[in-house]
Amino acid sequence: MKKLMLVILMVMVLFSTACTQTAGEGQTIRIAEQYGIAYAPVQIMKEKGFLEENYPGIEISWEQLSNTAAIREAMVADRLDVGFMAIPPFLIGSENGMEWKIATGLSSVPTGLVATDAIQSLSDFSESDRIALPQPGSVQHILLAMACDREFSDPTKLDNNLVTLSHPDGMSALLAGGEITAHFTSTPYLQKELAETGFHEIISGQEAFGGQFSFIVGVTTNKFHDENPELYDAFVKSVQEAIDFINQNPQEAAAILADVYDLSEEELLTYITAEDTDYSQTVKGIQTFSDFMVKTGYLETGISNPEAATWENVVYED
Amino acid sequence: MRIREFFLKPYSKLVWILLMMLAWELVAKFAPVSALAFPSLQQIFKALFDSIKNGELVYQMLFSLTLILEGLFIGVVLAFIMSFLSVVSKVFESFTDTCVSIFHPLPGIALLPLIILWIGTGTSAILFVIVHSVLWPMILNMNAGFKSIPDVYRKIGDNYEFSRFQSMIRIFIPAALTYLLAGLKISWARGWRAVISAEMIFGASGSIGGIGWYIFNRRVFMDTAGVYAGILVIIAVGILVEDFIFGKIEKNTIKKWGLS
Repeated sequence: MKKLMLVILMVMVLFSTACTQTAGEGQTIRIAEQYGIAYAPVQIMKEKGFLEENYPGIEISWEQLSNTAAIREAMVADRLDVGFMAIPPFLIGSENGMEWKIATGLSSVPTGLVATDAIQSLSDFSESDRIALPQPGSVQHILLAMACDREFSDPTKLDNNLVTLSHPDGMSALLAGGEITAHFTSTPYLQKELAETGFHEIISGQEAFGGQFSFIVGVTTNKFHDENPELYDAFVKSVQEAIDFINQNPQEAAAILADVYDLSEEELLTYITAEDTDYSQTVKGIQTFSDFMVKTGYLETGISNPEAATWENVVYED
Repeated sequence: MRIREFFLKPYSKLVWILLMMLAWELVAKFAPVSALAFPSLQQIFKALFDSIKNGELVYQMLFSLTLILEGLFIGVVLAFIMSFLSVVSKVFESFTDTCVSIFHPLPGIALLPLIILWIGTGTSAILFVIVHSVLWPMILNMNAGFKSIPDVYRKIGDNYEFSRFQSMIRIFIPAALTYLLAGLKISWARGWRAVISAEMIFGASGSIGGIGWYIFNRRVFMDTAGVYAGILVIIAVGILVEDFIFGKIEKNTIKKWGLS
């Protein structure tokens, strides 16, 4: 019997040590780094060293994570303090017990549903058409549901036509001309697809939403916000400086980003100065998203007001 | 020594599983871990029963199993043809060997970006990944099995004036059955993994996706208990197939014939 007890004990030790490691404390901030025009201020903040300037001695650890689900999971595991994402995945996390709030708005960029010329409107989709988008519950999926709700009063009308593909895979699938006949995507894939002949935009994100909304927001864990108020303030200030830098010196910002994203400077300049691209700390549309997601069953309770989901510094609009 | 005898019994797997569940529950209850990372068994089983009750999980499992059966069938038939031709022709054998050394170490998932370009994202793409992961280990095992057959067996076939095909069916396959079953087991496991990974990347193709899609969906909606429920189903199917289906086949063939 002793032997058996020993085995059980070992298994338990194995399980518990695997799960209780915590990251080193001290003055570090762990930020998820993501690529794309919508995340440009984060990249500028990194390249220009704004946070290092506002909080001398800070050690920033930039983590590479590919999607929102991974960012959420890294925050649960206490491997990450700050992440950037769209509002719907943020709301899904909050509803399921994530202890986090929005610290800043970041960007609004062009997003829309691109389809082959055979499809002229949402009602032209047949059962065999497939729509590629990043994942269920993503902002693209919710925008599509909003468009379907407006057009057919049935938000789930096209849910059976969805295929989950990352933006680059979705683009190649659409251009390859197979069963994927539409792609809900964002800058710069949106512009690249529209530049090809035979494709056009059926509905833009703003038309689907019915107005302006923040495409990407910055989120921090409660732990980070509560334990390091000064560092938190420095972070928010640095994001603002990065946004101001892009808005005031687009040419210089494009030059910096061109190196990071491996795109030409002119191309980047057109993206970041496009009319419907807007970098701002104001969080727009969070209540509208929440109310819609509650109404359609993607969320159970949602948020009662934007203040419940944002930190005290945040300015919001709905 | 009583403990040792205890673990020799066929139900020992069950005991281990219960012990692991106990350890799990203790960690979930008492260790300082987030319920979002480590939900309790109660939450996991609730998610499991809810999904079974509304039929979602059952359909998705059947969907995955149908896909893998189709894939296994195509893969095994192709493997059989290639191995048969390799037995018959030395030239073809070198071709098969080359193919195996090129494709066997290549994970189907690495081909996904290309598969999307070639055949799109539907069921046929997932099928392609399954066939790819089934075919090569099956050929390896078939060839090894056929090579291990003593020359006398071949000569017996010649004495009976069997055609190539007859000696394949009546001598080669029964004689190499240990290898064929081992190949089938590996292929099944590879195919099962492939179908789940492919579904997690492609998502649903059509109205219902498979079990991989179920897990992916739970993940993006942050239902961790649901993710574990999906994993439990995968484990259960794995154990069932291994212990019952393959166990039965082995008992009635190679074990009965004294081949293993």
